[in-house]
Amino acid sequence: MTRQTGLFMVLLLWLGAAGCPRQDPAALTFAVGGAPAELKVWESLIEDFQRQSGIAVRMLRQPTDSDLRRQALVVPLQARQADPDVFLMDVVWLAQFAASDWLEPLQERMARDGIDEGVFFAPVLDLVDRYRGAVVALPIYVDGGLLYYRRDLLEKYGFSGPPRTWQELVEQAGLVQDQMRESDPEFSGFVWQGAQYEGLICTFQEVAASGGGGLTAGEGGLGLDGPANRKALQFMRDLIHRHRISPPSTFTEMREEEVREAFQRGAALFERNWPYAWPLHQQPGSPVRDKTGIAPLPHFPGGQSVSTLGGWHVGISSHSDAKEQSWALVRFLLERRTQKRLALELGWNPGRRDLYGDPQVLARHPHFAELRQVFENLLPRPVLPYYSRLSVVVQRHLNAALAGDAAPGQALRAAQREADEIAARYEKE
Amino acid sequence: MADRTRREFWESLPFILPLVLWVAVFILVPVLATLVNSLFLDVSFLPIRWLGPENYRRLLEDPGFWQALRFTVLFALVSVPLELAIGFALALVLNEPLPLRGWLRAVVLIPWAIPAAVSGRVFQLIYNYHYGLANALIRQLGLSAEPVNWLGSEPGAFFALVAADAWKTAPFVAIILLAGLAAIPGELYRQARVDGAGLVQRWRHLTVPLLRPVLVVALLFRSVDALRVFDMVYVITGGGPGGATNSLSLYGYDFFLAGDFGYGSAVSVVLFAIALLLSVIYLKAGRFAKELR
Repeated sequence: MTRQTGLFMVLLLWLGAAGCPRQDPAALTFAVGGAPAELKVWESLIEDFQRQSGIAVRMLRQPTDSDLRRQALVVPLQARQADPDVFLMDVVWLAQFAASDWLEPLQERMARDGIDEGVFFAPVLDLVDRYRGAVVALPIYVDGGLLYYRRDLLEKYGFSGPPRTWQELVEQAGLVQDQMRESDPEFSGFVWQGAQYEGLICTFQEVAASGGGGLTAGEGGLGLDGPANRKALQFMRDLIHRHRISPPSTFTEMREEEVREAFQRGAALFERNWPYAWPLHQQPGSPVRDKTGIAPLPHFPGGQSVSTLGGWHVGISSHSDAKEQSWALVRFLLERRTQKRLALELGWNPGRRDLYGDPQVLARHPHFAELRQVFENLLPRPVLPYYSRLSVVVQRHLNAALAGDAAPGQALRAAQREADEIAARYEKE
Repeated sequence: MADRTRREFWESLPFILPLVLWVAVFILVPVLATLVNSLFLDVSFLPIRWLGPENYRRLLEDPGFWQALRFTVLFALVSVPLELAIGFALALVLNEPLPLRGWLRAVVLIPWAIPAAVSGRVFQLIYNYHYGLANALIRQLGLSAEPVNWLGSEPGAFFALVAADAWKTAPFVAIILLAGLAAIPGELYRQARVDGAGLVQRWRHLTVPLLRPVLVVALLFRSVDALRVFDMVYVITGGGPGGATNSLSLYGYDFFLAGDFGYGSAVSVVLFAIALLLSVIYLKAGRFAKELR
C-alpha cells in the first residue's frame, strides 16, 4: 500500500466517524406537523411541558400534508425505531397503526391516573380510539363535515334559513347562482371536495349515509353497491353536470383548501368543509366575514344529517424507550388547560367535550355550541386496518363517476369488486 | 506481466472500493431487498409469511395495476420523443455562435433546476379552472367563452402532464446534447464543406452519427425518469380523474403508505424490470458499449 492510499483510508475512516449521529437517550421525541402558525403553538406548548415536568422533549417537525406525515411515521415504526415516542395520527390511520401493534395501550395508565373516558366524545372514543377493546389513542382534536352558507345572500333572496334537505339546497343554490352570475360569472351554488383523494370519500359518505346508504352498509368489508349509494353518487354527479351548481373543476381540483378559497373569495353560496375553515372565513379582511353561517349538512327526505368524523389523535409508540415520560406528555396534551389553549389560539375543536360550554371559548368561538351537537353524531369511515387500500380504490371509482367516465352503478359495482378482493386478501389471514 | 496487473489491481483497489461499496450498499442491497420482500406477505398488521410469486400473480389480475402500467408506458412513449425533439432543437440553436450565448444557455436550464414539486405546483395553477393562465389565454384569444376543464378528462390530464414534463426536462436533454455537439471537432465540418457537403448532408452524416452515443444517454436518462414519474403526477392530478393518470410509482407508493410492503415491493420490482429491460435494449441498439471502447 502506498502512502497516498494509506492517507486516503484514514480520510475515509474520519468521514465515517464524523457521520455517526449522537443522540440524547433521555429525550422524548414528539412528531407533530402542521402549518407554521400551528407549529409555533406546539413549540410553546412543549416548552411549557418541559418546564412543568422536567422531561426533555425533542420536537420532530412534520409537514402539513397528511400523506407525508403518515409516511414519516410508517417508516420508523415498521423498522421498530424507538423514536418518535409520541405522535399525532389522522383518525383513519388508527386501525392500521393499532393492528400493526405500533400503539401502546393506554387503558391501564388512564385508570391508574384517574382519567375519565367520559370527557371525550363517546362515538370518537368507542369507534376509533379503541382497538380490540383497549384504548390505544386519544383525540387531540375532533373534526366533522359542516355546511357553510352565506347568510347575507340567503336573506337577500328571501330564504328563511339554510337548507335541510339536498333538494332544498339545489333549489336555493340554483336560484342564487342564476342571480349572482349576472355580475360574477364564476359564482357557484355549492362547492365541495370531489377530487380524487380522501376528502371525496368523506363527502360521499355524508351524502350517501344521509339517505340510508354509506360505506359500511354491508357486513365485513364494504357494502358499496346499493340503491341508496347509487342515488347519492348520481346526485353528486348531477350537482356538477345537471344542476350545474358545482363547478366542473369539482372532480379535478376541489380539495379542502380550493373549496375554502372559493367560498372565502365570495364565489359560492354553500360550502362543505371542516371546522378549520371557520376562523379563516372570519379573519379580518375576509370578504365573507360576518356573512357566514354554519349548519349540519342536508339530508335526503326521510334520512338525517350525517357528518364524517375526522381529526387527529395522539398515541405512544409501542417501540418507545420512554413510555412513562411519553404518557406524561399525552396527559399534558389532553389537559383541559392545554386543550383550551389549542381551541383559543388555533380555533381547534377540542377532543374534550367539557370545553364546548366554556364561556371563554364560546365568547371567542360562538359556533362551538353548534359544533358540539354535530360532534355527538359523527360517523367514522370504516375502521379497518386496510382502510387506506379501500379508500384509494373507492376514490378512483367515485371520481370516475363524477367525471362522467362511468355510470354511478357501474362505478360502484367496480369499486365493490375491487374492495371485495382487498378484503379477501387482508382478512383471510 | 501478470505480476504487474496484480500489483496494479491491489494499488487501485482503495480507489475503486469506495465506489463499489457505495453501489453495493445503496443500490444493490435495496434492489435485492425489494425483490426478496416482494415474495412475502409483508403487511404491517398481519403476520409475515412466505408467498412465492403470489404477489405477482395478483398484480396480473389487478385492474389498478394495469391502468397504472398503461398510463406509465404511454406517458414515457409520448413525453420522451417530444422532449428529445425539443431538446435537440434547443441544442442546435444554442450551439450556434449567437450573441449572449452563455447567458441563453443558463436561462434555458432554469426549468430543469426547479424541483419538480414546485414546477408541478406552477402548472397546477396554469391549468386552474377559474383563474389559471391557460384559460385566461383562451378567453383573451377568443377561442372559447367557457373555460376549459383541462384536468377533467383523461386525454386532457394526460397531455397536461406531458406538457409540464416536457417543459421541465427538454432543457436537460438540450444540455447533454450540447456537450456532445461541442465535442465534435470543428475541422470535420470544415473538411466536409471542402468536400462539398451541404447543411443537410453535414447534419445527417456528421452530426447525428457522432452524436449517437450522447443521444442514447439522453434517451436512457429520460426514459427511465419518465417511467418512474411521481412528483409531477402527485402534485398536478394526484392520479385523477378516476385513476386515469396513476403512474406505477404512485400506485406502488399507496401500498407502502397502507403498510403493504410486500405488494408495494412487487410493483417496484416490475417498474425496475421494465426500466432495466429498456436500458439494455437502448445500450444494445445504440451500440454504446462499442463506442466506449
